[in-house]
Amino acid sequence: MYRTYPYALLFATTTLLQVFLFDNLSLSLYLDPLVYLAFILLLPLDIPAAVLLGAGLATGVAMDMTMGAAGINTISTLLAAFVRPAIVGFCYGSENAREGGTPSPERMGRRAFVRYAAIVILIHHSVFFTLEALSLAHTLHNLARIVASSTATFAATWLLMRLFTAKLPLRI
Amino acid sequence: MGLRAVVSAIFEFDRGAVRKLIEFIRSVYVVVLFVVLEAVAVNFYAHSTAYTQARLLTRSNRLLGDAHGLVGDIGRYFTLGRENRRLIERVAELEERLAAYAEAENAERLESYIDSEQDPKYRMTTATLVGGAVNRSQNLLTLNRGYRDGISVGMGVLSPSGAMVGFVVDCSERYAVAMPVLNTSFRSSGRLAGTDYFGSISWDGRDAETVQLSDISKYAEPREGQEVVTTGFSQYFPEDVLIGWVERAELNETRTTYTVHVRLAAEISRLRDVVLVGNRDREVVGDLQEQVRQNGGAISPDRSATTN
Repeated sequence: MYRTYPYALLFATTTLLQVFLFDNLSLSLYLDPLVYLAFILLLPLDIPAAVLLGAGLATGVAMDMTMGAAGINTISTLLAAFVRPAIVGFCYGSENAREGGTPSPERMGRRAFVRYAAIVILIHHSVFFTLEALSLAHTLHNLARIVASSTATFAATWLLMRLFTAKLPLRI
Repeated sequence: MGLRAVVSAIFEFDRGAVRKLIEFIRSVYVVVLFVVLEAVAVNFYAHSTAYTQARLLTRSNRLLGDAHGLVGDIGRYFTLGRENRRLIERVAELEERLAAYAEAENAERLESYIDSEQDPKYRMTTATLVGGAVNRSQNLLTLNRGYRDGISVGMGVLSPSGAMVGFVVDCSERYAVAMPVLNTSFRSSGRLAGTDYFGSISWDGRDAETVQLSDISKYAEPREGQEVVTTGFSQYFPEDVLIGWVERAELNETRTTYTVHVRLAAEISRLRDVVLVGNRDREVVGDLQEQVRQNGGAISPDRSATTN
């Protein structure tokens, strides 16, 4: 498969950042960025759905092992990987997506990229933090956590996307 | 009509059906794959407990513990100043206490005190945090000490200034995983200092600086700033370890008990080093239970006769 090495590097970068930086950073109860999702978000637009699911499974299981979270990363990342093609189709058009390439504002248009990333991140974080809190008692508190952490994840994803796509002209 | 024609007719029919089946599977296999994987993950999560999570973390620490330690060491350089100040404060505090003993003129009393310290009920050791943060509701902390260093499951974890942090829930050769009070599965007991009113300590997952002391009698009249300490019932902590201070208290709907919000004395989000407390009595009991278990759960008179 083409561009395997850059994506392997991206996987390593996002998981290591998550494990060694963000998992040890007690910023606040409301700010818990899950940057490993950037890997799922930045996979090629034309990736087969089954491969995407496989990537989601690998990322989720790796994160569950290192965080000591018994399954919530797998559950939420699998869901994110499963709905991603539909959301790409909704924001960018499935016909366009078939051309492939890394999702970025340059390729998809800023508006489409922001909507795509925001929807996937929100779906993932909603599942993650709802399961994590395991209660609907503090709905407002949970909502605040979802929104704040999603914003942080989005910012991190944007940065990673910039770094990841900036290398393109050098390599090609 | 020969047999051959019949066979080939069946075969034709089958081939068509199989092709249809394959097409159908191809059109839905991603959905099926997703549902199956998700079901397995949800099933695993539904059957997990805080201890499952601790065990997972202990296992991954075998692999990642050293790297965590290295990253942690780099981070430590930036907090050395603050840690040093805290140590000096602690030294000063202990010096003060030591001076009080030195001044004790009643030599007999001092001797009796030393006698009782010969074999203390609790043994203390230190550890450094190598992983874990408190920004979730199921937080776990990884410590850089394990069985090899005499750590065992059930040891209490205290902050350097002696405030309650949590207890060890799982342990490997070189690393231990502790559940801090900032984990919604944490349960312990707490008492309003200077009174006999006690209740249970837990965390509602909303604020990393306060925990809840519930089921306090309505006659307790908790005052703001009053100390909350551990009770003697806990098998993890010694008695009278500081937990925090009363921030506010509210009566429940039936006006029979108070829920007291306690400001934590230990700054768990900024914790670097911890003190571990092991209860020797509990360990002895644990060893005994382990021996009994190894003997197959029953020690028969015959068996002891044969060993004699």
